[in-house]
Amino acid sequence: MAAYFNMETLKFLMFNVHKLEELLLNERYNAFDKESILLFLQSVADFSDQDLYPIFKEMDEKPAKFSEGKIHVHPKIKDILIKQGELGVIGASFDESMGGLQLPATVMHAAYFIMEAANNHIPGYAGLTAGAAHLISSFADKKYHDQYVPNMLSGEWSGTMCLSEPQAGSGLSDIKCSAKPLDDGTFLIKGHKIFISGGDHEYAGNIIHLLLARIEGAPAGTKGISLFIVPKYKISPDQTLVNNDVITAGDFQKMGQRGYCTAHLVFGDNDQCTGYLVGEENKGLLYMFQMMNDARIAVGRGGAAIASAAYYASLQYAQERQQGRRLLSGGRKDEAAGPTLIINHPDVRRMLFLQKAIYEGSLSLILQSSIYHDREISEKENNNHWNLLLEFLTPITKTYPSEKGKLAVDNGLQILGGYGFCADFILQQYYRDIRIMSIYEGTTGIQSLDLLGRKVLMENGLVLKTMLAEIQHTISEGKMDERLRATAKELEDQLPLVEATLAHLIPIAMKGETEKFVSDATLFMEAVGTIVVAWQWLKIGITASNVLKSSDAAFSASMLKNKLHTMRFFYKYELARNKSIFKIIQSDEVLTLAEDDAFPD
Amino acid sequence: MKLLVCISKTPDTTAKIAFNGENTKLETAGITFIMNPYDEWYALVKAIEIQEKWGGSVSVLHVGPSENDAIIRKALAIGATDAHRIDTEAVSADQVAFQMASFIQQHAFDIIFTGKETIDYNGAEVGGRMAAQLNLPFISFASHLDIVTENEAIVKRDMEGGTETIQVNTPFVISAAKGMAEQRIPNMKGIMTAKSKPLNVVTPQEYSPKISIVSHELPPAKKAVQYIDPENMAELARLLREEAKVI
Repeated sequence: MAAYFNMETLKFLMFNVHKLEELLLNERYNAFDKESILLFLQSVADFSDQDLYPIFKEMDEKPAKFSEGKIHVHPKIKDILIKQGELGVIGASFDESMGGLQLPATVMHAAYFIMEAANNHIPGYAGLTAGAAHLISSFADKKYHDQYVPNMLSGEWSGTMCLSEPQAGSGLSDIKCSAKPLDDGTFLIKGHKIFISGGDHEYAGNIIHLLLARIEGAPAGTKGISLFIVPKYKISPDQTLVNNDVITAGDFQKMGQRGYCTAHLVFGDNDQCTGYLVGEENKGLLYMFQMMNDARIAVGRGGAAIASAAYYASLQYAQERQQGRRLLSGGRKDEAAGPTLIINHPDVRRMLFLQKAIYEGSLSLILQSSIYHDREISEKENNNHWNLLLEFLTPITKTYPSEKGKLAVDNGLQILGGYGFCADFILQQYYRDIRIMSIYEGTTGIQSLDLLGRKVLMENGLVLKTMLAEIQHTISEGKMDERLRATAKELEDQLPLVEATLAHLIPIAMKGETEKFVSDATLFMEAVGTIVVAWQWLKIGITASNVLKSSDAAFSASMLKNKLHTMRFFYKYELARNKSIFKIIQSDEVLTLAEDDAFPD
Repeated sequence: MKLLVCISKTPDTTAKIAFNGENTKLETAGITFIMNPYDEWYALVKAIEIQEKWGGSVSVLHVGPSENDAIIRKALAIGATDAHRIDTEAVSADQVAFQMASFIQQHAFDIIFTGKETIDYNGAEVGGRMAAQLNLPFISFASHLDIVTENEAIVKRDMEGGTETIQVNTPFVISAAKGMAEQRIPNMKGIMTAKSKPLNVVTPQEYSPKISIVSHELPPAKKAVQYIDPENMAELARLLREEAKVI
């Protein structure tokens, strides 16, 4: 079996860097211990080895296809969805009262990371099903929970989120899908939804769509959007399933994730489509944000997982491929020694370290965010603190692994030279698959607007202040370790750059020049994202250094030293670039506003 | 039926193997240990299948210290009823067989399962040694097991070029090979249920070692990829015949 992730690194990050066992002391999670969680992750790894990885390439070569009104996906999907239900990766993190086991989300993210590294075309089916079921359980009438959720958690039925329409993608305020109230309290749904991941396929017994629509007479914009349960098949009074007028118009043929179907759905073309209101009218977007915020972290996780798989594929190639000669001290090629493995060339090593620094830093960030999520829902007395931190990190956790993951995979492909461009090698598939991550669930541009335009200003800057205090705490810890003092100082030197940049930008916002204020939001995201991941690497470094000093033999010394080396790589090659990015943002010259007429030709 | 599955631990198949300075003992730092796959995938799952059909119980038995409890918990999560751990370090096949047989002598089991071998030292000795000590029939490398009655079974074992079919009465010892069953992956519910299943710690019997390890030697490092000139098919054939030994 090819390597696509490293269990030792995952364990080190979860239990040593992020101290998961401290979370497990919490009443909500105290049924779990390290042993049970490691057993679960090993089960997920075994399942991924046996069922997911073997069909990864095949799903790309034989993509989802629409014909005769149906979307045909890989035949093993049916079996896999049921196995995922049995394994617990759909429902184990649900509350016990909803049929779950209250498994921490952090563990579930680790499980999905493994599955996505094995085959990123599949876990979305289960992930969206869990998200849709969670929305029903959280906000809908209990009768809907009883009708739909058990079959969703078992993997027999699937779930989706239906937001985008042909005229409304990123701009959800423009959605037109309508909901007409009926006398029995249900609604008649009518409209088109596009880019619906897992939207229709032949192997789901039923597909439960969580759909945004506008009730007749509702206010304009996002304040008039409601959320509905719209099943593909309605449950009739005698419990049989009957068609609910949800028609599949097609499957989008994508450049990547080709085995993961993406449907165009038509609701109520025959005026027979019933929807069931979730919660209160016009609060749909608020409810949907629960699922979208989870989905944002999930997308970042997908980016980290693909970057992980690509790293191990290119590492294996670099350890087997001989090419060129090592250079002797005078600059001559060492002809006597013959061709060398390409992993011995400094530039190849640079690319490998870049991949490793990005994927492991991203994975650590995902675990960090999910720890905050778990603390928020389990520590009622302090949940606002954890919520502030999660609010700040969510757009970064979505964006950094997606954007930098592309860079990592690109470098991985480069290591293979010409073969990287060829279908016989897997890197080109990772290169295509990861491309969607910076588009899914709000593009990088949208996430950056959220970070600069919303999160930085939120609660009069309290969110940002809380985040910076967390980073400063780690810096102080790092400074106490001789081996890490210089690294901690480098991170500390970044914080005044953030403050100076905001001192430049906020007066622009105060003047009401909002477009100018956010015009370089994506650059701000890039720089702040790099600081946040540098913070994660400092945490990793502190932990590795401490374990090296201890008598803990759970991890090999070579692995721990490698973590410290990769941390230094990240600071030298990535964090150091930040100064120039902040300089661009602070420049008075603005070249991207629409009034500059720069695009007439 | 009362079934017993003997399980052992081995390094994960992806572990980088190294020995101490004297080459007498495995270096365990940074190594993840797993349940021996032949014990887990074939012996344990087959025993659970029999229990599901015929009723009774599936106990697991392990020789090792408490650090190995995770492996035992996995067996319980897959579906074993209870577990017994003989609390001493496993040092040789003879010692493990002695300790296990001593335990079994005090309990009545209908079928005693082992995997056909462990994937670390590949000794395939424990089942045979136990059977000898217990004076029970031993069927090695079994690929099929059908229970005819609670007292009688038909076993098939793969041989070079064919299959051998054997009739045996309970109690007996059997070592399970590929084909006996299919791996079951424990799910989260099973893992949590396993936490409340009994795991009994057993005091080991006194044992005098009969052998000692002199040294281990690692196989030669894997060679790098060799490129053969497409015009030189004779060289390719020579390498395949003499070095790879595949033709």
